[in-house]
Amino acid sequence: MPLRESQGAYRKVAHGIARLVEGWALAGGILLFGVVLVTAWSMGGNILFNQPVPGDFEIVEVAVAVAVFAFLPYCQLTGANVSADIFTAGASPRWIAGFSALAALVALVFAAVLFWRMSLGLQDYREYEELTMVYQFPLWVAFVPILVSLALLVLAALVTLVDACQGQPQRTARDQADRGGGA
Amino acid sequence: MEENLLIGLAGLAALIAMIAIRMPIAYSMVTVGAVGIAVLSGPAILLSQLKTLAYGQFSIYDLSVVPMFVLMGYVATRAGLSRDLFRAANAWLGWMRGGVAMSAIAACAGFGAVCGSSLATASTMGQVALPELRRYRYAPALATGTLAAGGVLGILIPPSVVLVIYAIIVEANIVTMFIAAFVPGLIAVLFFLATIAIYVRLVPGAGPPGDAVRRQELRDASVAVLPVLGIFGLVIGGIYFGFFNPTPAAAVGVFLVTLYGILRGAVRLADLRYALLETAKTSGMIYLILLGAELLKIFMSRGGVPQAAAEMMASSGLPPYAVLVLLLLALIVLGCLMDSLSMILLAIPFFWPVIADMDFGMGPEETKVWFGILALIVVELGLITPPVGMNVFVINSLARDVPMSVTFRGVLPFFGAELVRVGLLVAFPAITLFLPRLLS
Repeated sequence: MPLRESQGAYRKVAHGIARLVEGWALAGGILLFGVVLVTAWSMGGNILFNQPVPGDFEIVEVAVAVAVFAFLPYCQLTGANVSADIFTAGASPRWIAGFSALAALVALVFAAVLFWRMSLGLQDYREYEELTMVYQFPLWVAFVPILVSLALLVLAALVTLVDACQGQPQRTARDQADRGGGA
Repeated sequence: MEENLLIGLAGLAALIAMIAIRMPIAYSMVTVGAVGIAVLSGPAILLSQLKTLAYGQFSIYDLSVVPMFVLMGYVATRAGLSRDLFRAANAWLGWMRGGVAMSAIAACAGFGAVCGSSLATASTMGQVALPELRRYRYAPALATGTLAAGGVLGILIPPSVVLVIYAIIVEANIVTMFIAAFVPGLIAVLFFLATIAIYVRLVPGAGPPGDAVRRQELRDASVAVLPVLGIFGLVIGGIYFGFFNPTPAAAVGVFLVTLYGILRGAVRLADLRYALLETAKTSGMIYLILLGAELLKIFMSRGGVPQAAAEMMASSGLPPYAVLVLLLLALIVLGCLMDSLSMILLAIPFFWPVIADMDFGMGPEETKVWFGILALIVVELGLITPPVGMNVFVINSLARDVPMSVTFRGVLPFFGAELVRVGLLVAFPAITLFLPRLLS
């Protein structure tokens, strides 16, 4: 059965993407935790020895931005982006799957456009080197992991799009609440 | 100009339509904002902005406090802090009629001090307090209503993610906002406690008194809660008294909560992994909405929509307080349909210019602070009201045998208490403003 075979292959690929995306988000989380440690260290150094980590705010700005981009694909895959499902509460599963497909499509376009534009942004930063003030850290370097994140977001959006087209609606805020998550 | 305004309004209509068909709010905002900018300013401008706009938004220093507070909240849920808090509160209050429910409120308040999220507070305290409330045969409506309402304290008591976002939108001082939220938060706790006290007197048997505790347990429970209070005191006290800025304070808080959790053996590698992934979901969602809000803001201000709204309200001849009440009512209604963060990000850019133009007998900075606290409270009401009261859903998922309608009924008295509180804060701005005045 070629159809079932391609289904199985897709499941495998989707599963691989999901693991990749989760690992990447976890890496972002660890980076965030690193920022926490540096900032706390700097704070302690400042209070105890009057010696903060120089330019710690710079580390915070760049690292938090990189970490947050790494979170985006995971948000897409786990349906963490909140939506108002009250207006469509009575809609049939078919319609809801359709709405989910549309949402995934928008995410896909967003990810692709942003990937395109930010890779040009990276080129700009390489040409007219933009450095952070204290560390003279070239900003384009930070754009590399960000582009990886956006590429993963493209993949994650594709998975959610295919899932929605196969009639699996995106998880909703209500499901999130059932698991006690969300903001 | 007229044409730009029409395009802006059409954008708003498109936004509402997209949100209504389940489009994630962040993507609705991004789409409308981006298309709107392309229409009003040309695609070339949009495309060049997209090269660095997202990075620029995500690397705002003041925002970095958001993922840190989120992380602190999730680690705290795993570190057993909620159990300590409830145990201590119960030792002090449990013997009274309705005392176990009161303890849950007090513990929610304490937990809200290390956690900026309503849902996390509701779900963590729910897991700890629900079994106790059942053991003492509390009426299901009171038990679940208390916990759903108590969760709101997670947001109302600093640190609060929504408050940080508000401060960034209106360019207010985050520290001042945190200070201003303190007294209203305290009033919320007192009102909730009073609500329970009245409830158990009006409905006999709804909240039987718990067991009297022995002196030893009272002491042990009080000692066990000290680390939590210490961490809270350091983080929030440090911010209030200007020892450190919110971001370092949050970082120290995350560090201490994690350390405490690890030392007592409650937080293991799997818990950290859970906390980091949940933080990834929540912060990713928040930042994406922020990006959407930024695009939308560029589009709308070029279309002149906020200014037009402000002019319309100013020329309507309504007295300032009437306008304020109208806007708060609008926020309550909208808050019932959407989550609070999206609500703040969507509505404040339109509502704030209206309020800023009016004279409430105080300076513009103070108006900012006062309105922010009021807005924070009313958008949170959406968490405990139908149709999408998320706190009620959370508690409901923990207490499957209690019908949702019963929980909503149980929440009603607390909702009433909240309305009284909002009324008080509207009528007497000094309640909100005196602490910031004192500490500035």
